[in-house]
Parts: sequence; structure tokens; C-alpha cells
Amino acid sequence: MPGKWDWLKEELSGFSMLTKLPTMTKFLKGKISGPEDIIKCSMCPNMCRHACPISIVDGKETTSPAGKSRIGMMIENDVLSLNEENLLPIHMCLSCGCCENWCPFDFSVSDILRPVKKRAVEKTIVYEEFGELFDDLKRNGTIYGEIEDQNNFAHEGDVLYLRGCEYRENNSQVIDKTMSVLKKVDADPFILPDEECCGIPAYNAGNIGLFEKLIENMVEKIRESGADKVVTSCPSCAYAYKKLYPEFDQNIEEVEISHIVEFLEEKKIKFNLKRDPYEFTFHEPCKLVNGLGKKDSMRDLLERTGLSVKTPRRHGEETFCCGSGGTTVPRLNKKLSSEIVQERLSELKRLSDEIITSCPTCKKTFENADEEVKVHDIAEIVDSLL
Amino acid sequence: MFPLFRCPKRGDVLVPNEMMKKKNIGKVDKVIDELSENFEDNRLSTKKTDLLSYSHDYWPISLHWMLEDKLPALPDAVVWPENKEEVKDVVRCCYKGKVPLYPYGGGSGVLGATVPEKGGIVIDLKRMRSLEVNDDDLLVEAEAGLNGYYLESRLNEEGYTMGNIPQSLYPSTVGGWVGTKATGQFSTKYGGIEEMLKGIEVIVPPGKRLNLKPHPRTSTGPDLRKLFVGAEGTMGVMTKGWFKIWPCPENRIKLSYTSKRLEDAVESVRNIMRTEAEPAVVRIYDEMETKRHFYDYEEIYGKIATVIIIEGDEKITKAEREIVEEEFIGEYKGKEPVDHWLKTRFSVKEASEFVPMGVVFDTIEVAVNWSNAGELYENVVEAIKPIKGVLFASAHASHFYPQGICFYFTFAGTPPRKKDAESFYQQVWSEAMKAVIDSGGTMSHHHGVGRQRKDWLGQELGGGLEILKKIKEKIDKRNIMNPGNLGL
Repeated sequence: MPGKWDWLKEELSGFSMLTKLPTMTKFLKGKISGPEDIIKCSMCPNMCRHACPISIVDGKETTSPAGKSRIGMMIENDVLSLNEENLLPIHMCLSCGCCENWCPFDFSVSDILRPVKKRAVEKTIVYEEFGELFDDLKRNGTIYGEIEDQNNFAHEGDVLYLRGCEYRENNSQVIDKTMSVLKKVDADPFILPDEECCGIPAYNAGNIGLFEKLIENMVEKIRESGADKVVTSCPSCAYAYKKLYPEFDQNIEEVEISHIVEFLEEKKIKFNLKRDPYEFTFHEPCKLVNGLGKKDSMRDLLERTGLSVKTPRRHGEETFCCGSGGTTVPRLNKKLSSEIVQERLSELKRLSDEIITSCPTCKKTFENADEEVKVHDIAEIVDSLL
Repeated sequence: MFPLFRCPKRGDVLVPNEMMKKKNIGKVDKVIDELSENFEDNRLSTKKTDLLSYSHDYWPISLHWMLEDKLPALPDAVVWPENKEEVKDVVRCCYKGKVPLYPYGGGSGVLGATVPEKGGIVIDLKRMRSLEVNDDDLLVEAEAGLNGYYLESRLNEEGYTMGNIPQSLYPSTVGGWVGTKATGQFSTKYGGIEEMLKGIEVIVPPGKRLNLKPHPRTSTGPDLRKLFVGAEGTMGVMTKGWFKIWPCPENRIKLSYTSKRLEDAVESVRNIMRTEAEPAVVRIYDEMETKRHFYDYEEIYGKIATVIIIEGDEKITKAEREIVEEEFIGEYKGKEPVDHWLKTRFSVKEASEFVPMGVVFDTIEVAVNWSNAGELYENVVEAIKPIKGVLFASAHASHFYPQGICFYFTFAGTPPRKKDAESFYQQVWSEAMKAVIDSGGTMSHHHGVGRQRKDWLGQELGGGLEILKKIKEKIDKRNIMNPGNLGL
């Protein structure tokens, strides 16, 4: 079988050494060290533009995926200064990972640009909005400042249920339902009363030092809990624990970590479809689909319930962010964030006003954006069918 | 070509070159002030990041400039309208202030058509992206900034296709398709954008709306719609178009062949096109191209190969298949190579791999009648290959007509010593264009003209260029619309 570059070698074989040598040297040098990812991405005509919610809704070259890389490259090359204004397009990223699905190099623009964001924080170039977030995370370990834990659940058991900052602060109902589901599938769930943030907001905003501290805190808490299984409602938390923590040498491989959808898809649940009054649609969170690689898990689970569920055009790996992903956009550009929510909601509402999702941020975002829609966490739906 | 200027390092004092600045000084500021009354902050920008982002399109030589921190030009401001009234406002202000205006779509054009060479305002249409399907009339009404993939997937969701699938489907826009007179990979059945466009809305200087509504056919003097197809932003700003659509095909057949000689494959397709068969996709690759594109298919590697897709109504496609099988001179290779092509057809990764290594890389697509097809192919390849520094020149044929064929040439090379990337690039282009014209071909099939091909337009159009200039002068007396592009 010929190799990818055999044709080039064959072509060059006809040239004199004088012609061949400089080309081969350049080529081999390039192949060995490889141009930096940021350069490769900058040389692309935005072949993932259609998948990028920011690019589709904002409509600007500057915030398109390759456009952001070009700005990053110019900052790295000192053509542009590292300052708040020039960094802004780089932070117009929902970290949804949709670009990666269409990239021949498997690049995630969010990851490619992380070193630039990190350098900015290290040089104390920090937006006011990020400063507040970092302070909350430093002081209280959550994005909401000090949280008074209202739940009265067990603090011991076999499955540690990590609720995530959003549900812990704002949605005890989903917590109740998730605990109920876990019990119904024969788990003995318990919670951490002093659960802290997984750290992903700091990671998204480029504060890697803070992220590392938050990792240490949570790893210690998870280990101390003695749980061998962790279930979380938040796909970003699950992504952080499973994918990011090992990258930072904090591998809690002795603990099996799942997002609630991953946990339930493994179970052989017999659903009891008592009534089917509504037609639902669903919204798959980016971090479940792209971060955890569960392209069809949520849809498959919903199909198994027997409910009448309509599939939106943009689903699976083409899912479209709710507008609040990635921490930075809703903090730095509320208008754009809100336009993305409306874009997604208008698509979902064409199918149904009853939306099922499996992410606390998506749920809150849709509910805040439109009073007409009813947004259900998947645990609420599953609980009603068990 | 342009007085390239280098971005100052660290200083952040990015200014357009002196020539542009002198021309526009004062006037641009006034226009920006006027526009800022109606446009919110986030839809009118003079930020450096925005100006830099709109200083280029996907012209391959500009990628080399980018890596050398050089710029061909810089606009003074960028504006993002959301409706035709705002577009009218921008055109009116620019016309009044005699400030250049450059319409911008997806930025995937490869000939520098959007380079704001004289400074001024870039108008990006991508926030205008509504669409409406008319089932009875098989039409879709789409705003100019609508993303290509978005349009096609929305149509597919409702059971239709427009059939315009260019390689730039993902980043490009409807307005860009019309502006460059684009065509897609499935054009042999569905036609080019000029055949799909049934109606158009354009804002022309000094800010007037021209609305040419869609009809099945109209015999009302010269077809004004065509004036804006391929005009590349020189005649006005397209805001909306009506395009014909088709029900999604119920059947798709994939066929592939290898042939002993390129002439055999070309002759086969010529004979197929003389029947009433209309395969959607036909692509004939020369030996070098099969090495590049089918390196993991040993049976095809280094041979002349043809991939064919027939799609549409079941009975018709069955008949078309019989015609293809009867006419094709070659060895049948199954559907796998077609699946491979379908999977890899949007890949443009070679630019990302080659350009950072200093390799100059580009494609040149031209068309020619059947009678001169073989000669043109030979002449162009032979014209490029001997140029010092050229590594390879190859081609595939990608679009077919009963009258002829489109050849899509690719070349790559490293500039020899004492020659910079741009001189090398222009030398190859110059030899290729000469060979195309001498062989009786047309210098552009679907990428357009832009700033790269403008110097050859006179040879191509003859006296037609003067007429085009007079038309432009009448529409845009102050020459604000993309001045310099197409040589206008």
C-alpha cells in the first residue's frame, strides 16, 4: 500500500539534488517538528465555520474558528499586543468542541488558543468579569460564592452523586429526582455537603493555576469519600474529571466516573410509560456529545423510554450550544450569548415547547431565555417513568 | 501586485499604507461617524483585530504574506448589517463620501476579490441569513449572508436540495456563490449558481434597491440578474436571492473506473454527455492526482481514474447507469473509490500542511470545449512543470457539459533562490494563463477573477471589458463598489 507522501517522493526523484535538497530539508523539517497547530488552523478557510455557533450567529470573521486562531497567531508573533481588546475574539468561544468534529487535524480551537489565554492570566491581563469568577472560586470553591447546602441527603453510600454548582445552588428539584432515580436503579447514592467546583470555569478562562488548585481539592474530596463510583448531572464536570484531570496528572482512575446519561445507558432499565401526553424534543449538551464522546447516548436513552421525542436537525455531533457554554461568552458578551440561545430555541420550539436536556447550564439558559418552554432534566423524565 | 506593508511589531500602530490613507483621509472618518449613528458598537468596528481579519480572503499567496506578517491592504472599518435598510444606509453613506465599499461573504474566495486594496469599509453580510422555502414553486428565498451548509441542511430537513455543493460549502455564503459565479461538485446535473438563481435583490449605488423577482422564465430585455452574477461586489451589494430547488433524490448510484489513457476517460464522458444522461458528479483524475487523493487505494493509485455519481428518480437513474456502463472505456472499480471521494471531498488540509513549509500551492480551474480539451490539458501541465522550483503540476476534470469540460489544475513548488514566493507564484500563473488562452480555453471556470486574474480579463473578453467598464461607470459613477477588483 502506498504511503501518504509517496507521490511527493516519486515526484522529487526526478529532480537534481540541488533542487531536491532544499525542498526535502524544508519538508522533513516541517514533518518532524510540524508547524504549530495554531498556524495550521490559521491557514484553513474555516472548514468548521458551519458547526461553530459563534461563527454562525455572530457572523464575524474575527470570531470565526480560523479567525480566532489568526488573532492568536498575531498575538504570539507580537503583531498584536496581548491586551484585553485583542484577546476578546479569542474568548468568544463556547468550548463546545464542534469544530473538532470537522477538522482534518482534530483540532479544538478552544484548546489551540488555551496557551494564549493562559499567558494573559499569568501576565494579569484579566477581565473584570473573570476577576469576580476567580475570586469566588478561590474563596468558596464554587462559582456562586458561599453556598448554603439545603439538601438533607446521606453523606455515605456506594455512589457519590456530584450535583455541580448550578443544581446545588439553584435546583434542588432535579437533585431530588436524580437521587430518586439512582435509588430506583439499586444504587445507594450520597452527596458531598462541601462539594466544590470541578474547576472547568477557571480552565475555560485561562486560569490554569487556579484550575490546578481546584483539581487538587476535588480529587482529595472524592478520594476521601471512599466512593468507587461517581455520578454527576453536569457533563462539564464529568468531562473535567474524566478527561482533563488525567491531563494534569490527577488521575482518579480507581473511581468510575459517569455523567447521569452514561450511568443510565449502562443500566438495563425497564421503563413504565404510564402516559404520553406530550411530544418532547431534546437538546444534547456539547460536553456530553463532544467532550465525553457520547454522540447518540442521550437520544438512544430517550428512545428506550418509549416517549414521543422529536429529533432536532442539529443533534448528535452537530448539536448546537445553548449559548452559555465555555464560561467566557456569557460573561463578556451577553448579547451574543442570548442570540445563540434564541437561535437554538427557535429550532427546538419548531418541534416542541417541552425540551429535555442533561445539563444544568443548558436547562437554566433555556428557562431564563423563554418562559414558554418547559425544560426537563433527563433525570426528571426518567424518574417519572420508573 | 500591491505595495505590501509589514505589520509593525510590538508597536500596535497598525495603519493602512500611506497611499490608501492619503486617498481616503477625512472622508472615511466622516462616513464612519455617520454610520455609527445607526449601527451599534458591536456591528461597526475599527478595532485592529477586525481590520486585520478582513484584510484578506483565502487567496493562497496571502497565506504566505500572513506568515511573513505582511498585509496586502487594510480596511478602515467593518460593518455588519442585519437588513436591507441598513445595507442601503451603508451604500448611501459610502457613495456620498466617495469611500470604497467591499462586500464580504465567507472569505473563502481564492483570488483576492475581497482585499480592500484602497482602504474604506468592508460590509460583511453574514448576519443576514434568513431563508424561506416555497414548496409549490420549488424555490428557496435566501439572504446573502446565509451559510452554504446551513442552507443545504435546512433544505434537506424539509426534503429538498439546491444541489450546489462547492468544496467551500462549510465556510461560504449564498452571496459569495452569486458574487463569484460559483458552481458545485454536483453541477453536471444541477448546474451552476447562475442557473439556480431565479431572482435577486441588490442595493446599488447610490443606495437604491433593485428587486428582480423570480419567474420561471422572462423575456423582458437583457437579463439584468446576470449582471450581478460573477460581479464580485463591483456592481452593488446583493442582499437576497431566489434559487431553484429539487426534491431530494430518491436514488443514488456510485460508479468508478480506471482507464489506460486520459483521452479514453475524457472521450467516455463526452459520449455520455451527448446522450440525455446527466450524472450529478463526474471527476476524472490524472495519474498524479490519484496518487494524492487515492493513496490508500492501490488499484487506483497512479492510474487515470474516474468517479461518477448518478442521482435522482429511480427509473431515470437506472437508465443513466446503463448509458454510463455502455459508454465508459475502462475497468470498473466499484463504489468504494466514490465513497472515499465523498468522505474526503471537503479536505483542504494540504494548504495547512504545505504553506507553513514555504511551499507555494494553488489551483487553477479553467474550461474548454471538447475539441481542445486534450491539447489544453497537455499545454498547461507542460507550461507549469519546467518552471524552476515547481514540484508538480497535475489536474482533474471536475465539471462537464455537452460542449466541454472544466480542468482543475494544481501546482506546488518552492521558490528557487533569489526568488520570493510571490514572483514564483505569479510566474506559474502567468505561464498557465497564457497556455489556457492559447489553447482556446476560458481562464476561469468557477473561482472568478478577483485581483489575481484581472490582468487577463481584457484578453478573455476583448472589447467586452470596455462595455463592462461603461456599465460599471453608469451604475457606480464614483467607483465605490470594490474598486480595483476585476480590473474595474
